Amino acid sequence: MTNDGDLLTIDRILAGEQSLYAGLVDRYKSYVYTIAYKILLNRPEAEEAAQDSFIKAYHNLASFNKQAKFSTWLYRIAFNTAISYKRKRRHNFQSIETAVIAYSGEAEGSLERNDKKRFLNIAMEKLSETDRTALSLFYLQEFSLEEIAEIMSMQANTIKVRIHRARQRVADELRLILQKEALTL
Amino acid sequence: MKKVTQQWDQMLLEFLDGKLNSAQHERLEEALRQDATLRTRLNELRQMHNILQATSLEVPSKNFTVSVMGKLDQAPVQRGLSIRNGLMLLAGIVTVLSIAVVLLATGVFDQTTTVNLNDVSVAQRYIKQSLPTFSIDGKLLVNTIILLNIIIAFLVLDRAVLKPFFQRRMEGRSQ
Repeated sequence: MTNDGDLLTIDRILAGEQSLYAGLVDRYKSYVYTIAYKILLNRPEAEEAAQDSFIKAYHNLASFNKQAKFSTWLYRIAFNTAISYKRKRRHNFQSIETAVIAYSGEAEGSLERNDKKRFLNIAMEKLSETDRTALSLFYLQEFSLEEIAEIMSMQANTIKVRIHRARQRVADELRLILQKEALTL
Repeated sequence: MKKVTQQWDQMLLEFLDGKLNSAQHERLEEALRQDATLRTRLNELRQMHNILQATSLEVPSKNFTVSVMGKLDQAPVQRGLSIRNGLMLLAGIVTVLSIAVVLLATGVFDQTTTVNLNDVSVAQRYIKQSLPTFSIDGKLLVNTIILLNIIIAFLVLDRAVLKPFFQRRMEGRSQ
């Protein structure tokens, strides 16, 4: 659905058809959750932050500027919410997350794909949450640099530089990880 | 092993993104033919690029939408001051208040201080006209500060301690 479709839905929600909001949640939940997860690296906390982002968006729907793209506005809320969760992080989430990563890795399929995903997770953890999110959004190939910049409230040039450096860093980290893996074989 | 320069790194990444024009493409191909380090670096970057390209969206829980719809009428979670930090801030304000009240009670601020700006040496040197004289009532000043602190203490108590506490209690009952 286009942004026009979203705007029509928003008008109807604001007119009282609250149940239509479920359609917007369904459409964007994966992106919102991905943004939250890339920042928090913790599934239960990312789920909570993503849900909170949708609730915040709903409560601020009347103030949404209809000249803008709804998805970009929503993703910016998700980004800011996840960042504030990160700042207020409760440490007891950490131990749960390690178990979740291990479990999701096992359920993924082929060994090679699991290894790649695991190595990528290790390399991505070395990045700051901002760089990790920018890089992930870039590789989802759904967003232009300008949109990523808008979501993260930064200049497009800054985002371009950060993504470039993040790619170099991840490539370097992957090289080191693979070297270590080769030595242990 | 020699290191690939930033400029070449940039070019290799643009090559992977398919953003090089034909002249740049030829230049890079030539460089790759001659430089083994550059070829190694391209392989490293390609590896990273391929893995990242293969990543997909993260998937939230199955009941995500139902959970959100169930919480729509609740106020969004406020992530301002935590109850613990609110209590610490409140303790700080109360300590300052207590000290101020004790000092006030012992009569430290009973005297009225008169400030004559003409006595200030800098003023005497640069200003020829006579400057006004004013008095500061220490007791009134400290009383005002105490009053403001009491208002701030009540606000902190309400916003950072009582409100989150009762919200949690209500949420706990509704689950």
